[in-house]
This record gives sequence, C-alpha cells and structure tokens, in this order.
Amino acid sequence: MTHTDSHTDVTAPLLQVSGLKVHFPLRPGLFGKPAAMVKAVDGVDFTVHRGETLGLVGESGCGKSTTGLAVLRMTPLTEGRIVFDGEDISHPDAATTKRLRRKMQMVYQDPFGALNPRMRVLDIIGEPLRVHRLTRTRAEYRERVMDLLDRVGLKAEMADRYPHEFSGGQRQRIGIARALAADPSLIICDEPVSALDVSIQAQVINLLEDLQRDLGLTYLFVAHDLAVVRHLCHRIVVMYLGRVVEVADRERLYQAPRHPYTRALLGAIPIADPDPVVQARFNPSVDGEVPSPIDPPPGCPFHPRCPHATDLCRREAPRPIDVEDGHSVACHLHDPSRVAEMNHSEPSYQEQARNIA
Amino acid sequence: MSTETSTATATATATPRTEPAATLLRVENLHTVFEKDDSVVHAVNDVSFDVRRGEVLAIVGESGSGKSITAMSLLRLIPSPPGQIIGGRVLFDGQDLLDLPDDAIRQLRGRDISMIFQEPMTSLNPSLRIGRQLAEPLRVHGSVPKDKVRERCIELLRQVRIGDPEKRLDAYPHELSGGMRQRVMIAMGLACLPRLIIADEPTTALDVTVQAQILELLRDITRASQSSMMLITHDLGVVARYADRINVMYAGRIVERGTAHDIFHRPRHPYTVGLMESMPRLDDAIGNRLTPIPGSPPDLSDPPSGCPFHPRCRFAQPRCKQERPPLERLDQEHWKACWVNLDDTH
Ligand SMILES: Nc1ncnc2c1ncn2[C@@H]1O[C@H](COP(=O)(O)OP(=O)(O)OP(=O)(O)O)[C@@H](O)[C@H]1O
Ligand SMILES: Nc1ncnc2c1ncn2[C@@H]1O[C@H](COP(=O)(O)OP(=O)(O)O)[C@@H](O)[C@H]1O
Ligand code: SF4
Ligand code: SF4
Ligand SMILES: [Mg+2]
Ligand SMILES: [Mg+2]
Repeated sequence: MTHTDSHTDVTAPLLQVSGLKVHFPLRPGLFGKPAAMVKAVDGVDFTVHRGETLGLVGESGCGKSTTGLAVLRMTPLTEGRIVFDGEDISHPDAATTKRLRRKMQMVYQDPFGALNPRMRVLDIIGEPLRVHRLTRTRAEYRERVMDLLDRVGLKAEMADRYPHEFSGGQRQRIGIARALAADPSLIICDEPVSALDVSIQAQVINLLEDLQRDLGLTYLFVAHDLAVVRHLCHRIVVMYLGRVVEVADRERLYQAPRHPYTRALLGAIPIADPDPVVQARFNPSVDGEVPSPIDPPPGCPFHPRCPHATDLCRREAPRPIDVEDGHSVACHLHDPSRVAEMNHSEPSYQEQARNIA
Repeated sequence: MSTETSTATATATATPRTEPAATLLRVENLHTVFEKDDSVVHAVNDVSFDVRRGEVLAIVGESGSGKSITAMSLLRLIPSPPGQIIGGRVLFDGQDLLDLPDDAIRQLRGRDISMIFQEPMTSLNPSLRIGRQLAEPLRVHGSVPKDKVRERCIELLRQVRIGDPEKRLDAYPHELSGGMRQRVMIAMGLACLPRLIIADEPTTALDVTVQAQILELLRDITRASQSSMMLITHDLGVVARYADRINVMYAGRIVERGTAHDIFHRPRHPYTVGLMESMPRLDDAIGNRLTPIPGSPPDLSDPPSGCPFHPRCRFAQPRCKQERPPLERLDQEHWKACWVNLDDTH
C-alpha cells in the first residue's frame, strides 16, 4: 500500500477510481455448482476533483450506490483501484479504514430509515465527534453540535428532540449535519433529495450548494433525476448496467450527448412545459428495459436496446474514447478505429444531439 | 383577465375548449376523514371536480395532499375504520356512487371505472399466474364468453406490448420486470373497456425510459377507446405532457384548477407558483438558484386556520389567517382558491 502522509497536493484529484468491479455472489450454488454472480459494477473509471460535484446517474440497478459504497470501502472490491487523497485505499488496513470513516461521509436517500429513532438529534449529529474523539468536553461537544445545527438551518432547541418529531426535509438536514460533523473532505450523497417533496427538495439542494461554497466540500452525487443532477453537478458520469457509458461536463452532456443511451435517457424525461414546441423535444427512443446484471448481454451492454447496434456491438464491448477534452464516450460509433466496421449510415450525431438538447 | 381559450397543450383533445365536453363523472363536496386516537385527519376536504369524456384530468400535489384518498373515495375503497367518507356526492351516469349498494359498486369497479395503482408488485397476487389474474375481471363481469377469455387475455397483453403473450400468460409476477408488471396492471385495468381509468402514480416506481413507454401507451389506449383518464401524480413533467386539465391539491383541498397551459404558463395560486419556482428544470440557465417554498406541508390533523397555505405563503395577508378562500372561477377553465390577485409578474 502506498502511503503519502505528507502534504497533499491540492491540484491532484481527490478521488480516482480505475477498473472498479464489484461482483456479488447471488446464492451459494447447490451441490457444488458455482454461484451466479451479480455484476453490480463491472469496470468503472472516474475521477473527482477537489471542490467539485461529480454526478453519478443511471437507471435503477445500474450500480450507482454500489460504486458509492465501494468508494467508502463499505463493500469489498472484486477488482480495481481506488486512490483517495493520494493514498491507495483499495486494500485498507484497520487504521486507514478508521481514517476514511472520518474523511468520507455519506448522506442517504431515506431520511426516515437513516436516523436511529431512539437517539436524540444531539447524539445523532454528534456521533462522529464521539467515535473519532474530536471534542474533549461535554460543553465543547454540545457547542459543536449547535454550530452544525445552525449550519444546516435547524434551531438549537431541536437538539434534544427525537427523529420522529421532524419532517422529511428536516431529517435530511439532520443527516447532512451529521455528515459534516467530522469535517470530511468527500461527501457521498446517495439520492439525498429523491424521497422529498418538490417544495422541500429545493431547500435541501440550496443547502448543499451553500455548504459547498462555504466549506469547500467535494461531493459525489448519486441520483437518477437528471434535472436535479444538471442543477447541482459540475461533471456527470452516466452509468448503464455496471459500466460507465459517458463522462462530460454538464453543459456538454445536456447539450450534446453522444452516447445512444444518454440520448435516450435525456429524451425520455418529461418536460414541465405543455407548450407543443417544447414537447416536440420529448423523444423516448428506446424500448425495453435494463437487462439483469446477473447475466448481462455480451459486447456492449446497451446493444439489445440500442437503435444503432451492429454485430460488432453484440460481440465486443466498446472502450471509452475521449471525443473532446474531458468528454469520453464508450460506444463503437465514437471510436475512430471501429467506426468503419460499424458500417452503417445514419443521421449525423450533431443533428440528433440538437434534437434532444 | 385573458379570455383566450387555449388549446395549446401537447395533448390537445379533439374537443374545442369553448364547448366543454360532456361530463362523465362529477364529484361534489367530497369529504373523507381518518379518525386516529383523539384526532381527525381531513384527508379530502370539500373537493369538487368533473371528469369529461375523452380527457386526461390530472391531480397533482405533494405526498399526503389527499390525491390517493380522493381516488379511492370515488370507488369507495377507503379502509373503514379508520377512514370514512362523511360528505359529498360522486355522480356517474346520474347515479351517486356513494349511495350505491355494495354489490352494485363492486360490479362497477373494473367494468366502468378501473384503477391502476402505483406498486404493481403489491397489487398483483404473487402466487397466481398472470393469465389467471388477467382473466379475473373478465370472468367477474362476464364481459367475454368463457371460451374466448384466453384469446382476449392474449390480445390485452399484446395491446400493452408484452412480447410472447401466449407464454407470458403462464408466468408468475416475480418472473416479470417492474415495467412488465405495470403493463400487466394496465392490461387488467383495460380488460373490460372501462369508461374511466384512474391511474394513481402509475409509473413512480419505474425508470424514466420505461415510464415514457408506459405513459405513452396508456395515453394512446385511452384515446383510441375514447375513455377518460384521471392521472394522479406528483411529477410536474408528467402532468405537462399528458394532462388536458389539472387540479392542484394542497392539504386535502383543490387550490387551483385549469388547463395545462393555465397551470404552467399563468399559475394564479401562490402554491402553484412556488412549485414551479422550486423545481430544477432542464432548460434553466446553469447556476440559477432555486426558490424553495419555505416550511413544510401541514399536519392534516391540525391544519392551519384560514388559508391552509398561509404559513408558507409569501403573499399572505392578515385576512388569510382567519378566512379560508373559496375555489373561484377566474375564466372559463381557470379556478383558484386565494384572496390575492397575482398577475404574470408575481
Ligand atoms: N449486497 C448485494 N448482494 C447482491 N446483489 C446486490 C447487492 N447490492 C447490490 N446488488 C445488485 O447490484 C446491482 C446494482 O445495485 P445498486 O444498488 O448499486 O444500484 P443503483 O444504481 O444504486 O440503483 P437504484 O437507483 O435503484 O438505487 C443491482 O442489480 C442490485 O440488485
Ligand atoms: N389508512 C389511513 N389511516 C390514516 N390516515 C391516512 C390513511 N391513508 C391516508 N391517510 C392520510 O390522509 C392524507 C392524504 O393521504 P393520500 O391521499 O394517500 O395522499 P397522497 O396525496 O400522497 O396520495 C394523509 O395525511 C395521510 O396521512
Ligand atoms: S457500441 Fe453499439 S450497441 Fe453500444 S451504444 Fe454504441 S452503437 Fe449502441
Ligand atoms: S389566500 Fe393568502 S395565504 Fe392563501 S395562498 Fe392566497 S395569499 Fe397566500
Ligand atoms: Mg441506489
Ligand atoms: Mg398517493
């Protein structure tokens, strides 16, 4: 394990994930049969820079949460390498794990399930302070929790109440305060607003933005709502069936998506404007559903639903290609060395991209 | 006030708005409560609306605003106790469904009015094959001769675009994907060619690419059969695309009603305005800050006095705390329950 306890290089990425695979055994095989594997994450690469929000999007079951848990080192890696703050954490020892528990925090989707119902808010928020012995006296502890409550827009007198006395939005604030307590450098937000009503979502989104600005936080933001992701995330990783299909900054991803799946996904979002001109952009171009990660299709995982699929796609998985600086796409159509083999005429991508954007 | 009669919805029906189509269902002053310990929750409070022939009527609102209880009250599906419909009328074909004998309302459910629920796994029986469940409404209502039931089931599965329908009839629900189970639910809802389909968050549990397939299908089928649909959802994008008219619910009441154009382009209730402002949109300028509605929805066992929205309303006036504004007509199709007159500038 490489250890760089020295001063961290602030220009280096905070997190680098390469070749990540997380496979789960489905059920122990009967009579010595090998167990089937769920290929939840099957070869994922991405980088998170300091101070940015990186979005991880895709439909249910594509491996977003598993990726988050792998980064937090709460699930074993099948393959791959994770470097956090200059340190390889792929196989952490106990001391490293403890340090990581402090430097990386998680905000969960379900504000109802994530908080211990028998603990007071004071002790829920203060738990990381106690676990990592970050405060010395009871008074200091209480004061620190009061600061955190204030940060997330809750009142000091709420400290002595229990979770059931709070609304969904308030519980999510409590979860955020708790995540901030140990002064982390990376916060992994797993669908932090999707369980909340629209009118409350905006409160929490604004809070996450304020905290990032004031505290210089870095977020890995897992979500399926592409409008929320566009609002919050500087760069976006689109996943499909355990793989990354496209990475781009938000302007390019939403204005000129390249991967056929990204385009289908963006075209399927209902737009909150009944104007026929606006509705004309709605273009759900794919049929069918995401296949099972237990027995993923060979070749490109999207080929059974892709309108452009060829024999090559059925045979061989595409590799990620940088189509522009910071914009990478895993699709044979965008691979200059394969595009001839794709051997198929169709409208130009720019034109199709414009139809969706 | 503008008098334009807008047909500028993506889902414009053939009926011009100037001559409202015939009413299929009329709900008048519906009031449904739940009694808990020593408190009473007014889940649906004095709600009135019409569903017209051939239209998609939406009910939108946040969770707990009373959308599902409104729908369930129409078909008398409220669990009682603790629930009870304590007032109102539900007129369908000139009959008050709330007065109908139990066996008559049972006959009507699934035959004239059918309901599609949110979670297809809990509404399908896990231990019965799809074919059995699909045949159930056909058998109960005797709408197809016995020897034609299987044929009709296959036709229904084909209609909701399930491939290999003959084989799928023998499948159990857990052998199907979420999207396929929801298609089966839709097929069951359509089996007896109902005149009204009530779809309660029919795609909330599904992925967006699957949601698009299902909602397009549901809309096309209701259109082709000239039936009406009551679409219940919290998703404003879904509403904008599929609804002809929209009821906005807040705290058990309808606070605004209008065409899709009215609600999205000239909302007149502060709550509707707040919803529009708080939602991130795909066409926003990047870097825009959202404007949330402060506070949270009220506890319906202890609703605020006066206007139920007043504790969160930036336009509230002293009067709003004391007096509840009635739902009043602004123009032909547009109604609101608010004391203050907002214009397009709000
Ligand atoms: N502990 C586990 N054991 C077996 N399979 C698992 C386990 N955790 C996740 N999976 C499977 O791995 C796949 C990816 O799951 P994951 O939770 O990462 O998806 P997700 O993208 O977060 O989906 P969602 O949007 O529904 O939260 C799914 O098929 C899931 O069923
Ligand atoms: N079985 C029940 N017992 C008690 N209260 C209920 C029950 N079902 C619904 N309610 C209450 O009725 C109100 C409206 O619920 P509902 O119609 O389900 O809301 P939604 O708009 O989310 O569909 C809520 O305050 C809810 O808590
Ligand atoms: S590689 Fe082939 S199947 Fe995969 S997205 Fe590209 S065109 Fe479609
Ligand atoms: S009646 Fe008053 S409190 Fe209610 S929505 Fe109108 S302005 Fe706001
Ligand atoms: Mg998840
Ligand atoms: Mg509901």
